[in-house]
Amino acid sequence: MAAALAGVAFFVMSVALLGVWPGRVLDRQVRAMSPDRPLGLTAGEERGRAIYGAEGCAYCHTQQVRYVEADMRRFGAPTLAWETKFDYPHLWGTRRIGPDLARAGSVRTDDWHFAHLFAPRLVVAQSVMPSYAWLFDGAPDRPRQGARDLVAYLQSLGRARELAGPEGAARARQGCDCPDDGMAQMAFASPLNASPARARPRGSDVPAWSGRVDDTRGRQLYAANCASCHGARGAGDGPGAAALAPPPSDLSAHEYAAARVADVLWNGVAGTAMPAWRDYPPADLAALVTIVRGFHASAEAAGPDGLVAAGERVYAANCVQCHGQDGGGAGFAAAELTIAPTSFRTQRPAMAQSLRAVRDGVRGTRMASWTGRLSEPEIVAVAAYVRSLFAADGGR
Amino acid sequence: MSNVEAEPRVETGLVYAHGLAALLTLFLSVAFGILASIQLLAPDTGAGVASLGWGRVRYAHTQGIMLGWLANAFLAFLYHAVPILTGRRVTSARLGRWLFGVWNLMIVVPGWILVLAGVSQPLEWAEFPLVIDAFVVIGLALAAVQFLPPFFSRGLESLYVSGWYVIGGLVFTLLAYPMGNIVPEVVPGAEGAAFSGLWIHDAVGLFVTPLAVAILYFVIPAASGRPIYSHFLSMLGFWLLFLVYPLNGTHHYVYSVIPMAAQRTAIAASAILGVTVILVVFNLLMSLRGSGIVPADPALKFVATSTVLYLIVSVQGSLQAQMAVNQAVHFSDWVIGHSHLAMLGFATFAAAGGVVHAWQRIPWARYNARALTWSYWLLLGGMAMMVTSLTAAGIVEARLWQSDAPWIDSVLAARPFWVLRSLSAIPITAGFIAFLGGLMTGPRGAGLRAIRPAMHIDAVRDTSLPANPAGEPA
Repeated sequence: MAAALAGVAFFVMSVALLGVWPGRVLDRQVRAMSPDRPLGLTAGEERGRAIYGAEGCAYCHTQQVRYVEADMRRFGAPTLAWETKFDYPHLWGTRRIGPDLARAGSVRTDDWHFAHLFAPRLVVAQSVMPSYAWLFDGAPDRPRQGARDLVAYLQSLGRARELAGPEGAARARQGCDCPDDGMAQMAFASPLNASPARARPRGSDVPAWSGRVDDTRGRQLYAANCASCHGARGAGDGPGAAALAPPPSDLSAHEYAAARVADVLWNGVAGTAMPAWRDYPPADLAALVTIVRGFHASAEAAGPDGLVAAGERVYAANCVQCHGQDGGGAGFAAAELTIAPTSFRTQRPAMAQSLRAVRDGVRGTRMASWTGRLSEPEIVAVAAYVRSLFAADGGR
Repeated sequence: MSNVEAEPRVETGLVYAHGLAALLTLFLSVAFGILASIQLLAPDTGAGVASLGWGRVRYAHTQGIMLGWLANAFLAFLYHAVPILTGRRVTSARLGRWLFGVWNLMIVVPGWILVLAGVSQPLEWAEFPLVIDAFVVIGLALAAVQFLPPFFSRGLESLYVSGWYVIGGLVFTLLAYPMGNIVPEVVPGAEGAAFSGLWIHDAVGLFVTPLAVAILYFVIPAASGRPIYSHFLSMLGFWLLFLVYPLNGTHHYVYSVIPMAAQRTAIAASAILGVTVILVVFNLLMSLRGSGIVPADPALKFVATSTVLYLIVSVQGSLQAQMAVNQAVHFSDWVIGHSHLAMLGFATFAAAGGVVHAWQRIPWARYNARALTWSYWLLLGGMAMMVTSLTAAGIVEARLWQSDAPWIDSVLAARPFWVLRSLSAIPITAGFIAFLGGLMTGPRGAGLRAIRPAMHIDAVRDTSLPANPAGEPA
């Protein structure tokens, strides 16, 4: 009889002490620290969450940034209780084979996610993630409802706290009322999202590097990280390229200023599948800059002066609003665009590339085809003009 | 004492049936595990077939091991042990057939089908969906009705410690299972996680451990013919385990947002648990004196090794619950190594020992001691290989995660260890095949003949009884 009592009494005690009581504390915390009306999940995102659960995603990817420096460095601010209050059941996870996803929502674009789900090794060459091609109709740009829902769910991760903004953080800090609790304060001390792949605005604080550049290391890094999108020889024809919009740049068709490549590696290209690569040290990134610039074929002659002058007039009439008067990509309309317009001062396209961009547009961006609006001579002229704006020192 | 038989009848048919079911479900569960391990090395294995996706296969593996292999093995052992511990028959053979049917045909098989079809719960140790959970509760209730009344019928004056563990384990699990499977579905996020953490530990600590320790306490004296070293220590260990184990659960969420007081309680309880297990294992090892480091009897081999593995895994657990260690190895392969040391090491060896012990005493069952000895060594070697490689992988991953290295480096660094882990499948599978051979080949009744000299038994009934393992009153 006493044995049965042991079973019941100690069960009740453990549930009360380690289940009910912490639950009450957490409930109070959630109410005190949560924004007034945090955004929950849409029906589609809920369906995606169910797929995430059924496929065992939580057994490879956690959704729980711990109050631990190593976690905060890689993933960002520790997960607060209210952030998972919509999860029935929670998906905190107990194993990380892949990275934590608690704040994955603002890191990658949809096209990257579709490519990654369809065939992970298209975009992460050494990934061990299983393929979810059965969620698609044969290609990453033909997702079925399940893939759409799953990507919608992934893009919702960490969103609620981002939307709550600084006001939400202030309220949470106030609600916490814990100025002496060192661990609790960690939730407010770090950047909200520290994912090393998260794209930042063009030009943000690229670290300098003036040391030796290791070409062998650069080639290894390129093969391991870049070739799956940009192709083995940088021609934008990697296995993952077809799935992405905008497609990966043809690195061999551009002459790049060193500062431009450094900026792209350090900040990514916001709005595209090109992530930042902040988990590589500056020495490695410098090596990559050398490799990327080395793909460029030999220099082409500039166009005849008359052509360039004619192109300048076409440019002034059609292109300045996005690409800016000096071709630096900061036209007055540029602020409205998700993907920053190309700066011709830091990269010079080859003539064929330039013509292609003007004639056909750039798929997945707001650069439309100008074939209907410009005559062929005008197109040729402006394509030659933009090639004359390059400043090899990467002037802004 | 009117309903206490001098030679209580054991339902040998049900021992046999559950033993077979245990092995069948074991082979399938191991196959799922091997597939999952290969998919980490060759991720496109099974690509295109949704029901062979890594996540679903992993769910099928863990639930199959717990509810298929271990549960069936424990049930087989209970059919043998409860009549001997109580001197009474279990409630009913007909109920036994229902329990067998519910457990294997309404829980394990449909559970597998559903999780592979994508119907599941993403909760550790609770992956079978709610509809199956309902049947598990029914099954546990049936088991309680089958095995508990013999303990409670009037006239039983003293109870050997194995009986305490059986009662405690069955009652606790009946309560804890619905808690772990249902509460996180209705209580969201962090609050639900607190209950999840409790269940993750209760599944191992209050379902598997009591029944496994019941086996250890039963088989050691029964197979060696000597009484347990100390009844006092055995009862002290019992009460401490049931007090301390349930308080461990939150150690699965160290450094999370769950209140620090709860985390610290769990960490302290984890340390105390290590000490408690040292006490229990001391008692068991002292009881093994004279049997040699590797005893001759196959059941005793498994059980003696299980005892040592129990000590190792518990001390490891106490260590990894401490915040400094946890901070580094949480989420890494170290934890997978730990769980396999517990489930493939401690629990499987105890279950194997219990099944073999009960099997030896079925007069019409085949028995092959040589195959069982092969099985023991193959399983020991395979398990050691697996656990060592995963623990090493965990340490490597932990170091890389602490550094600035890109995440993919930790995946690449784990690869050679994963290869070793997948290779360990060879001795492990061979060991289980040999185990099957040990129970399915060899002459009928060879088990009884093997044990009789040690047991000084003259008469043979439907099941032969060892000397009463209780010895003295509790």
